[in-house]
Amino acid sequence: MNEPITPTQNSDRSSPPDLHADVVASLEPDQLVAAKARSFPRRNLAASEVFLLFSLRIYLLFMIAIVIYQIWVNIR
Amino acid sequence: MGQEGVKFLDGSPVMSALTGDTIAPGESLASVTPAITHEDVARARDRDRVLAARRKGGPLSKLRLLWLLLGPGILVMLGENDGSSMLSYAATGARFGIGFFLPFIVLTFVMATIVQEMTVRLGAVTHRGHAELIFARFGPFWGWFSMVDLAIGNFLTLITEFIAIRAGLGFLGVKPWVAVSCSVMLLYFAILTRRYWTWERITLAIAAFNLVFVPLAFMSKPDWASIGRSFVFWKPLSGGANETLLMILSTIGATVTPWMLFFQQSATADKGLTRSDIKFGRIDTLLGATLAAAAALGVVVVTAPLFARHMAPANFQAAEFAQALQPVIGRFGSILFSLGMVEAGLVAAITISASSAYAFGEVAGKPHSLNLTLREGRAFYSVLFLCVALAAATALIPGLPLVYVVMTVNVVAVLAMPPALAFLFLLANDKEIMGDLVSPRWANLLTAAVVVLLTSAGVLFGVSVIAPKVFVALAGHL
Repeated sequence: MNEPITPTQNSDRSSPPDLHADVVASLEPDQLVAAKARSFPRRNLAASEVFLLFSLRIYLLFMIAIVIYQIWVNIR
Repeated sequence: MGQEGVKFLDGSPVMSALTGDTIAPGESLASVTPAITHEDVARARDRDRVLAARRKGGPLSKLRLLWLLLGPGILVMLGENDGSSMLSYAATGARFGIGFFLPFIVLTFVMATIVQEMTVRLGAVTHRGHAELIFARFGPFWGWFSMVDLAIGNFLTLITEFIAIRAGLGFLGVKPWVAVSCSVMLLYFAILTRRYWTWERITLAIAAFNLVFVPLAFMSKPDWASIGRSFVFWKPLSGGANETLLMILSTIGATVTPWMLFFQQSATADKGLTRSDIKFGRIDTLLGATLAAAAALGVVVVTAPLFARHMAPANFQAAEFAQALQPVIGRFGSILFSLGMVEAGLVAAITISASSAYAFGEVAGKPHSLNLTLREGRAFYSVLFLCVALAAATALIPGLPLVYVVMTVNVVAVLAMPPALAFLFLLANDKEIMGDLVSPRWANLLTAAVVVLLTSAGVLFGVSVIAPKVFVALAGHL
């Protein structure tokens, strides 16, 4: 787990209350670990995009089969 | 402290992007934001220096900004100049000379720059890694496909890195288990700093040795006129179609591979780059591509004399190349060549294992940063340690057909690239997450051209394996 820093923990940068404000000021809001816990929403893929992804997936599987075939031929 | 990212509207309360809570003017952000972590503090320290340099202005501070912001681009490009890539370039130079491959290698680095620039934008705008975005935006069905591609590709490539390290140090008489153990220890040492900045600088320092291939090219006393001619007149290749296509695919695979997309985007997010740093991220990528291309060209040039002497590189490892090159570049040059191979394997092992760990953490929802303490990042570091240890152990298996493994890994990397590029293309054009920083039309056209080129090369390779007579018949008609 990414453990939160509590006000009782010391830091070599500044005192704990300042540390909190400093960190928030230095980073963009969505750069903080807590903000990153929120996921982006899922997007709807268009039919053409699904077709593209499936085509390339089939291409990859077919080509991997060819590579395996070539290895098999070379071993023989 | 800068106020980057904290935006108050005049006189009215604003919503915190972090919590959704309403913040009144004058109210402390700390009172409404959730607790920060060590990872946040470490990243904020790095950002402080960037913000301070940006506030100063002037040419010197621009240079300081560049120094602070470069890293992921150079690391990914020099990381991809890995053991298997360098062996592939060496085999290319020794088998085909410089005629075709010098310009071709430059072209592959242009492709790599086009592709990697998109990961800089994605990382800087979303602050998320590549695997995380694929899972979030396309769902687990497509997410797992890309993860399986990455995991298999990364593991196989990691094995080849330790093969290169073992072979390179073998030339100096170091026993395989000593060579592999020492490199694993060095890799663990870089990680155990538990600080992204320190890890990045240590890795950059090691990666600088990749440029040793440039002076080695000079030491081989090349024919500069014929090098110049190779760029003006692109000679066709001799040799069988299958072998030639295998070499071409292997050369492309030595420059553009899926792990690079995952690594650079995750590293960009981990380093804390923001929208205002994208320009420097692009310079970083271009600089990395230029340095890596120079080193890659250096390897081809230095091994080209083996082509002139009709030496067969089919079963050469790093040590054999170093041995064969001794009459050309001397004993000292050969030692440098083998050490260059060791560096190539080591930097790639560091960056590739990091890309695996980032992707795992992003998908499993575990903390994933090189700024984590060992306790916080138990899962992240465990994956990193484990995949390195397994790959290192596999590379020690005696009797592995090393060069064949290396070539196959590069070819598989090229074949896996078009599906990976499709995800990248869709993400970089996703207005909901990228806003006004979606890819411009010219970048989309170039990316589409890269996909078509990679897919065509793969299909031609497939035809050459299944129906080699097609190429013989074609050659007869020409």
